[in-house]
Formats: sequence, C-alpha cells, structure tokens
Amino acid sequence: MTRLGARLAALGLALSLAALPATSAQAQVLREPAEGKRIVRLGAIQAIDSMNPFLAVRVVSTSVHRWMYAYLTTPDSKTLAPSPDLAESWETSADKLTWTFKIRDTKWSDGAPVTAHDAAWTLNKIMTDDGAKTANGPAVENFASVTASDDRTLVITTRKPQASMLELPIPIMPRHVWEKVGDIAGFEAEQYPAVGNGPYIAVEHKKNAYVKLKANPGYWRGAPKIDELHVIFYENPEAANVGLKKGDIDWIGRLAGPHFEALAGDPDIVQWNTQGRRASYLQLNPGAATADGEEIGDGHPALKDPKVRQAIHHAIDKQALVEQVQNGLAVPADGSIVPPMYKDFFWQAEGDVRVAFDPARANEILDDAGYRKGADGIRTMPDGNRKLEMRFSIHTEDPVEDKLAQFLTGWLKDIGIGLTTRKLDSNKFTEETGSTALYDIAISGWSVNPDPEEVFATHLCSRRPTAAGEGGGTESFYCDEEYERLYQAQLVELDRAKRAELIRRMQQKLYTDAPVIALYYPNNLEGYRSDRITSITPIPEDKGILYGGSGYWPVYSLQAVATPAGPAAGGSSAGAVIGIVAGAVVVLGAGGYLLARRRRAAADDRE
Amino acid sequence: MSEATARRRGALARFWRDYRAQRAGLYGAAILAAAVLAALVTPLVTDPAGLDVTRATGEKMAPPSPEFPLGTDESGRSILLTILWGSRVSLLIGFLSALLSMVIGTVVGITAGHFRGWPSAVLMRITDWFLVLPSLVLALVLAAILGGGTSTIVLAIGVTSWASTARLIRAQTLAVEARPYVERSRVLGGGHWHVMTRHVLPNVAPLVLANTTLTVASAIVTESTLAFLGADSGQASWGSMLRGSYDWGAVTSGAWWYVLPPGLCIVAVVLAFTLCGRALEAVLNPRLRGVS
Repeated sequence: MTRLGARLAALGLALSLAALPATSAQAQVLREPAEGKRIVRLGAIQAIDSMNPFLAVRVVSTSVHRWMYAYLTTPDSKTLAPSPDLAESWETSADKLTWTFKIRDTKWSDGAPVTAHDAAWTLNKIMTDDGAKTANGPAVENFASVTASDDRTLVITTRKPQASMLELPIPIMPRHVWEKVGDIAGFEAEQYPAVGNGPYIAVEHKKNAYVKLKANPGYWRGAPKIDELHVIFYENPEAANVGLKKGDIDWIGRLAGPHFEALAGDPDIVQWNTQGRRASYLQLNPGAATADGEEIGDGHPALKDPKVRQAIHHAIDKQALVEQVQNGLAVPADGSIVPPMYKDFFWQAEGDVRVAFDPARANEILDDAGYRKGADGIRTMPDGNRKLEMRFSIHTEDPVEDKLAQFLTGWLKDIGIGLTTRKLDSNKFTEETGSTALYDIAISGWSVNPDPEEVFATHLCSRRPTAAGEGGGTESFYCDEEYERLYQAQLVELDRAKRAELIRRMQQKLYTDAPVIALYYPNNLEGYRSDRITSITPIPEDKGILYGGSGYWPVYSLQAVATPAGPAAGGSSAGAVIGIVAGAVVVLGAGGYLLARRRRAAADDRE
Repeated sequence: MSEATARRRGALARFWRDYRAQRAGLYGAAILAAAVLAALVTPLVTDPAGLDVTRATGEKMAPPSPEFPLGTDESGRSILLTILWGSRVSLLIGFLSALLSMVIGTVVGITAGHFRGWPSAVLMRITDWFLVLPSLVLALVLAAILGGGTSTIVLAIGVTSWASTARLIRAQTLAVEARPYVERSRVLGGGHWHVMTRHVLPNVAPLVLANTTLTVASAIVTESTLAFLGADSGQASWGSMLRGSYDWGAVTSGAWWYVLPPGLCIVAVVLAFTLCGRALEAVLNPRLRGVS
C-alpha cells in the first residue's frame, strides 16, 4: 500500500501522521558522533521482520543475515555458480545421496571456534523443530540425516538426489549461543552484539527504524574496508529518495522506474541501472484444476486451446511495453521465466520457435481455429456459445500494471478478444489467481534465485491447490507430463551443464505452451552517492546487482570516505514542525466543520 | 385545462421567477448546461480510438500544439479528448451515485419519520453509524472488494453518502406529519402508504431535489478522490487523469497541461452544482425563502 500512502501524502491528509516517527528515529542515527569513521548508510524501503534467521523472510532481513553469518557456499562473484564459503570443499557419493562438506577453520565473533557441529545443529534444528521451519523449511525437506563426524566434517544424506544442495539459503548459526533458546518461533534474537562469523556484526537494532552493523575484524577473508554499515528503514520510496539527495543516506536499492528517474541530474549520485533478476509475465488460465484433476474456477474456455494462447502471445508488442510501460528500463522477454542475468540457465527463443509481434498472424491462427468474428469485432467460440470476452486481473495501486492493461486491451481488441480490467487488492488477487482460479488473464512476476528450482516448481501439477481449495503455490495451474519429467530429471542431475540443458528445455515448453507469457525483465535500479561511496563491486561483477542480490560481495567490497568533522545538518526538525502545524490545521478544520454541522443539524430539528 | 394542471403551471412559473432572481444559480446552471452538452456531443464529434494507448499518435507529454490543443499525456494521447470523454464518466457517476444516495436517504428518512418508536430508533442508529463512518475509507474498501467498474463505484459512493440526506428528510417528515391535514387524512382512513406517498413525499420533494443537487457535487469530488487513490471505474475520468499525472510525474516534468485541465474541470462542475443546489434550496426551502 505504499503507493496509496504516497498519494494520501500528496493529498495532504497523511502529512501529520506519517512524518513524525520515522524522522525522529532516523535523526537519532544521524546525530551520533561519526567523525573520522567510514560509515555507509543504506536506505531500505522495508523494515526487518525478525533478527532471527529461522523466521526472517523479507529481502532486507535475509540480506542482513547474509552479511552477519556464513553459509556453506556462496555464489561466485563472476559466474554466480556455487563457490566455497564456510565449506572449503565438498564431495558427493557415487549414488549422489551423501554429501560430505569440509568446514573451514574459523572463529565466531566471541572467540569460539566454528565447527561442523554448528552446521549440523542448525540444519537438524530446521528438520526437527516446526518453529524453525518458517524461513527455510522446504530447503531441508529431502534431507534424511545431518551429522558432524568430527569438528571439520559435515555429512548430509538425502532421500533423493538434490541438485540445489550447493545453494542452501541457510545461514549457519553458533550452536553454543542458540541451543540455549527454548522456543525458536517466539525468539526475536535481539541480543547485541550478535555472535556471527560473516563480514559484519549487528550491534544495534531499533524496530522499524534502523539496524547498525560493525565490521568483523576477525572475518576470515579479512575485515571489510569500512567501519560501520547502517541500514535505515523508510516507509515510502519518495522519503528515501529525498534522504539520498540530502545525504542522510548513501545508497538505495530496488528502486521503481519513476523514483530512479527522479535521481537524474545530481552530479554526486550514481544511477545504477543493470540487468535484474526478475521476470514479469502474464498468466493465462489454461483450464484450472486441483491437484486431483478436478476442474475449478471460471476461466474462459477458449484459453484451454493452446492456439488461442499462442495468438495472444503474437498480439503483444513487448518492445512497446518496455518503452511505454517501463520507460525503457527493462529488457523485452524473448524467453521465459529466467532472466538473462543467469547466463547458465537463460533460454532465448530463436528461429521458428520465436513468437514475434504479429497481429495478422494472430488473427490468422484464430480464424483457422474456427473463432469467427462477430459484427462487433469480437470473436465467438467455434461452437458459437460464448464470446471471447475476457478479464484481466491486476493489483490496485499499481500504475505500471494499469498502463499495461491499457495496452493489452488495445492489442487484444485488434485480434477480436474483448478485455476488461479487474483491479484486486493483493490478498484477493493471490486467492483468485492462486487457489480459486477466478481469472482469465492475470499479471504476475518472480524474482529468480541463482538456483531457479523454486520458480520452475511453481508450474508443477502438484503445486495446484488441494480439493479443499488450499493453495499449493502454483503460478499458472499448468500441468504437463513432459514438463514434470524434465523437472524430475533436472532435480537429480548433478552435472551443471546437463542440468542447465534440461532447465532450458522446460523454458521452451513453457514458452510454446504459453500457460505463462513472459513480457519483460525489469532492470535492477539503484542509486548511491559517489561523494561517500568510492567503490563497490556488484554481483555478478559484470553489470550486476548491488543490494538485494545473492551473497555478500557488494557490501564486503564497499569503500567509503571518512565522515568529516562538524555538526550534521538537522533538516528533520523542519519536517516535524510542518507535520505538527498540518496536524493542528486538520484538527481545527475538522472541529470547525463538525461544529458547523452540529449547528445546522440543530436548526433542522427545530422548525 | 384542468385546475390541477393550471396550478402546476402557475407553480412552475413562480419557481422560475424565484430561481431567476438567484444570479449565482443562473451561472451554475449555465456551466452545467455547457458541461452536459459537451458530454452528450462528444461521441458524435470525436473518435474514442484516440483514447486507446496502442493508437496514440502524439509524443509523450508534449506541450499544447495546434494538433493537441491541451497537449498529450504519458502515452501520447490528447488531453483534450480525454477530458471530453472523462466528463461523461465523471458526470454519469456523479448523477447516478447522487440518485442512489437520494433514494436510500429518502426511503430511510421518510420511514424513520413516519413510523415512530423502535423502527425509527433502529433506522436512525444505522444512519448514525453511516454518518460517523469515515465514508471515503469505506468507499475505498468497497470499491477494492467489489472490483473496478462504473456500477461498483456508483454503489460505493451511493451507499456511503446517504446518511445526512436521511437525517434531513426525517426531520422534514416529522414536521410535515405534525400538520393538521395529515391527521385529518389519517382519521378519514388513510393508511401508512397513502400518508407517506400522498402527503409526506410531495412535501419533502423540494428539499430532496435541492439536497440531491448538492450531493452530485460531493459525489463528483468523491469519484475523483477515489480515482486518484486508485479505485476507478476502468474508464478515463477526471479523477483518473489526475492520478495519471501524479503517477507519471507530470508535475516534476513541468507538464502543467496534464494537471490543470482536469482539476479546473472538477472545480467548475462542482462549483456549478453547488451554486444550483444553493439557489434551489433558497427557492424551495420555506425556511430559507427571502434569505438569499
């Protein structure tokens, strides 16, 4: 609802409500003496949900945990392929069911040694304690046992081979600190300094305001080159943008197009515009059914026909969408759900397979398939029973999706399909497109991890909802035998090149069957102050992401100038004064209005 | 010519004479007539294809030019054309939701005024409840739950704005029912329905009319606010134009031609309705007669 909040602020209604708490907390961070320290302040438009890595799911939280704790492996800074982190090396047994990791000889920040027992305890905790499953439960579902045969050797056995074993999204926790915790699900981990073994150590967290991290001097790769890293939470992107321009913060990630463009023209701000890890796509209801194969929902019957889905694909001008809807800050999708950033797994349609923008071809396909155009220009089903009038479900409060709907409506009209836009709030949207299937065409998207297993799983038969209507996390209600076969094959294929080939074939299947149609891959948009941050390395190093990507490389590589002596500028008190004045005006105005009403009502009652 | 017809004609002439005396009311009526005429003529003289983003011919956010007298929006569509087509949606939603609000308010008001005792108490508590609810928030939630569309916006505004009308009508009903001739009618065997429709309704009708005119004004503002906050009917309206100008940064890029026209149109039409409503009130409300 940030967009609604922003508009309310623009209306002047929320001025007095929103401005105060954030500014006072942030002012506190700014006031502390910082002379001579090299501090980098990162603005996040999201607050930490939990400092307990067993519970945290938000991007900002998992990012901070990435910086505080080592994982078994980390994506390579160039190729994103798994590379050694806490695990120095690893090997698999011949049956691919037993993995042996050699754990690096390092120390926790309190001086205790890091051992394989820490890793075994962490993974066992997630496997055995339902409260610890919240964040990363699915990652260990296939594990049979995890043991530490000595201080340096971790052995994991699985029930079936698991290709994603080297990309476990799980931070290894210090057992000697965490085994004292009784109820993991209720533990907020607010004890500072936190004991960790990553490049940074959390020293302070103020809920919904900020988290402060200090460089870990004992980090095994060597201490980071800055002294402190502060993450400051903003409620809306406009405020964060103003913060960056004023110099309250030095860096913001994950910007939307308009906010990114608003940063133009400032010589001290670097606009970071690189390939993103997200794919935006349409979902076309292919005749939704439950996991048991029972039909549900009210999807348009014409969409069961792959030819209709293909015709719709032909009617979409992806290049125009990128220019008009994304202001050119995206890459048109000639592939499927994996963005080109992941070179190993990316698949691009070429030759006859490629579906180009061609309304004439779309009309031809529909004509040949027997969908006749009526006098009003709208086609009917071959049996003449139903017109091709469809709904397009989008979210409320999203101008980009709104604009996209306007374009789609125009293009589909050209091929004889009527489209009306349905705007739904996000809960209802998730329900209607994920479990009850009350949609024809819907907008969706996915931020893909270096290991794309999860995004492919969202198109499996088993992900469709249960008979009781419980959502299983399907992104398309797709169910296809060959796709299932390929998925199972890639799951157990430990040869990366062969697995990538299987994954590319799955994308081709999705592309030609079109239960989803990829539109574009939005760019990763960020901004940072070059007068504060002198150097930062993205991941991957070639045109990669700074904040919100995988791994800790960008924050570990940070170099910054020391804070000069002198008082920090105090701009926030002006904001508070304006807020108070506005609040007083609103209260007085409302009071006066009510009073006037009251008088009038009394007069009405008299006569 | 029957006596009744002659009497009605006389009343109408008297009404027009009184209304003419309200100069502000005449200005309001003139603006309204122009706006309604423009809305009705638009489909006859312009092509709605110009609203289709896939057929837009202009540059993005181009300033006014001979081809586009009021410039273009973020997709290169003519602002003037959008204003004209938007007037249809804004006026339609304004009228329909005021009508809905008036019907609910009048029925509840007359019923609560006529049946004393517990029915009145129950209806008035419901009315009070709607009166204290923040109606904009309620309308926003309703529009979000029911999904977009002209009818849902009409419903959302109508359902949230009838409470003050009901209060007003109930007070007038109480006053009318206290008059001796209503008592006489009752004694002569007039039932509830007869009293409510034959005696009360004609007597509260002028008040209803004046109140409805004012409600249209606030309904148009509510529609624009809802559209600005993201709950629109899916068609171009003045409110959704304002939202578009905000979402696509018209102000920061200096595109005044995108912000001012829809804003001024809303102001003009709302002002016109208010002027008309006040004038009608002055003419029709016996308590305000002579005060102008």
